[in-house]
Amino acid sequence: MPSAALERAKFLVWLAAIVAASWLSDAAWLAAGLGLVLLAAGRAVFRLTRRALLATLAFTGTVSLTYAAWFWWQQDALPLDWLVTVNLRVLLMALLTFLFIERTNLFLALGFSRRLSFLLVLAVSQSLALRRTLDEFRQGLDSRALVRVGLRDRYRAAARAAGWLFDRALANAHESARAMQSRGMFR
Amino acid sequence: MIEVAGLHHDYGGQPSLVDIAFTLAPGEKVVLLGSNGCGKSTLLKILDGLIAAKSGRVDYDGQAVSPSTLKQPDWRRRFRREVALLFQNPDVMLFNPSVYDEIAFGPRQMELDDVDARVRHWAGLVGVTEFLDRPPFTLSGGEKQRVALAALLALEPRLLLLDEPAAALDPRATGWLVDFLADLPVTLLVTTHNLGLAPELGQRALVLGEDHRLLHDGDIEPFLADTERLIAANLAHVHRHRHGGLEHRHWHGHDWQ
Amino acid sequence: MHIPDGFIAPQMYLPLYGAAAGLWAVGARRIARDLDETTLPWLAALTAAAFALSFIALPLPGGTSAHVTGVGLLAACFGIWQAFMALSLVFAIQALLFGDGGVTTLPLNALAMGFAGALAARGVFLSTRRVGQTPALFLAGWIGLFLPAVLIALALGAQPLIAANEAGTPRYFPFGWSVTLPALLIPHALLGLGEGALTVLGGRAIERLRERYRND
Repeated sequence: MPSAALERAKFLVWLAAIVAASWLSDAAWLAAGLGLVLLAAGRAVFRLTRRALLATLAFTGTVSLTYAAWFWWQQDALPLDWLVTVNLRVLLMALLTFLFIERTNLFLALGFSRRLSFLLVLAVSQSLALRRTLDEFRQGLDSRALVRVGLRDRYRAAARAAGWLFDRALANAHESARAMQSRGMFR
Repeated sequence: MIEVAGLHHDYGGQPSLVDIAFTLAPGEKVVLLGSNGCGKSTLLKILDGLIAAKSGRVDYDGQAVSPSTLKQPDWRRRFRREVALLFQNPDVMLFNPSVYDEIAFGPRQMELDDVDARVRHWAGLVGVTEFLDRPPFTLSGGEKQRVALAALLALEPRLLLLDEPAAALDPRATGWLVDFLADLPVTLLVTTHNLGLAPELGQRALVLGEDHRLLHDGDIEPFLADTERLIAANLAHVHRHRHGGLEHRHWHGHDWQ
Repeated sequence: MHIPDGFIAPQMYLPLYGAAAGLWAVGARRIARDLDETTLPWLAALTAAAFALSFIALPLPGGTSAHVTGVGLLAACFGIWQAFMALSLVFAIQALLFGDGGVTTLPLNALAMGFAGALAARGVFLSTRRVGQTPALFLAGWIGLFLPAVLIALALGAQPLIAANEAGTPRYFPFGWSVTLPALLIPHALLGLGEGALTVLGGRAIERLRERYRND
């Protein structure tokens, strides 16, 4: 059973590491940090690196390529220092976060505030259920579409899903308030 | 009509269907039995080409069914017209401003000339004529399900896939549904975990076990009489009974509503 | 906006965290006062809805789609503080549980989308409602998407100014305002039209649901 104190310590270490990594603009330090995080990841290293790359590649790749092209056009050279430091920093910070997500129970780490951790548990569990049903809304339209559905019908379907979402949210709010009352959460 | 071979599927490493194989002949009425979470809904969605299975094949009249093959417009038009899926939660299928438009949605895509006649015909048969002008989301769960059913039937599909159609119905509505489906000239695959209802819906049963494999494919009556396999499929259970001061244990299939 | 960590300098995100923290404290007190004991379940449900909303595809012409932000819808239907707190929690959940977005960009998103976006959307909604529900919802949806894009473009474009090395080369996001403003504002002005349309339809649906709850 993980202790709340340990989880909180991991949370604080991660926060400190993120802030430190964000200050670094020296390729050697960034590479050293990245090496440490990769070592700490152990057997999960490939999976976590893949996730970190997938999560950041669209933005980082676009910015890196356009900046490199612009720099080349202006100065006939590549901004190597920028490319190396920024890409290292982005990868280091993303890996730090994915390692943290994998190794820490956030709900325990935030247990210093009973209300905050309760709020998070409630919100996350409901979000996941809502997300599954939204997937079904998409499939529901797909299964009834003989031809490509027009813009008007796609808006109707999206609005209907949004309306259903808020309806569900209202009902859930009601239910969990009752459940909390019956378990003596208030007063 | 439908041929399934070597079908496997999983969600994030958790298996949901393991090595599923069966065929459906035209005109058959088949019940897909299984406890909650054994993969019934997933199987229907794969048969309807909404989810790509991790491996294995689904053929409809000899043509492969999958989200990628259904990108082909002619094939999609034919398949979506001939195969209809009723979701367990009818909310996810209804988005039109009125019940009328909801039922007309399919026929209008086909650009049929008799849209109005079809809408009124099917609305009358499922008993939702009085709601034609109302927005579908203002109806009750059972009424929504009838509207969704009419919307599917308005295209006169050949194969109808129904996911737990009786789960939200009261006994009277369930009786109506059973009779209605029995008279419908379509091939039918219906999922349920309700043992009492199963033999009313079809003569042949496909049973998914808790290990996500096909446990039984054949006549429904012998399966329902086989206590050990019912318990293995988590469709029946053993618990204590109290009758007038006496207590005893025997197996039991609950017909949940 | 899914800007990964590492593009916003600490000289900017640390003060932004300070500002956001102040507003979170105010927001928590405001919501607690308005909703008393149902605050927690209400906020959790609204957060879940705001989170799930981003999984609805915003239909674009040609069969493509973008993601809904829902800033205008949340602000018009539920008010500034509710929208701000729910969206802030959504950003926190995305960053801390799913690794989407980032922790250093969180205060920027919370302030630009959750606060400024919601404030503008609510203001526009209330001031144009006299003209009609439809234009009011549409404008709320549009401004709720567009204004945050302006603020994020300004924040990104400021990075080369606030954190460059001695030679004047950037260390974080490399482009100035001459690039970020047109790159973000032109597409978001157009995406805002879609978000506006969905806000109209979604807002009407919510209005009808509320009527039904009142009638029950």
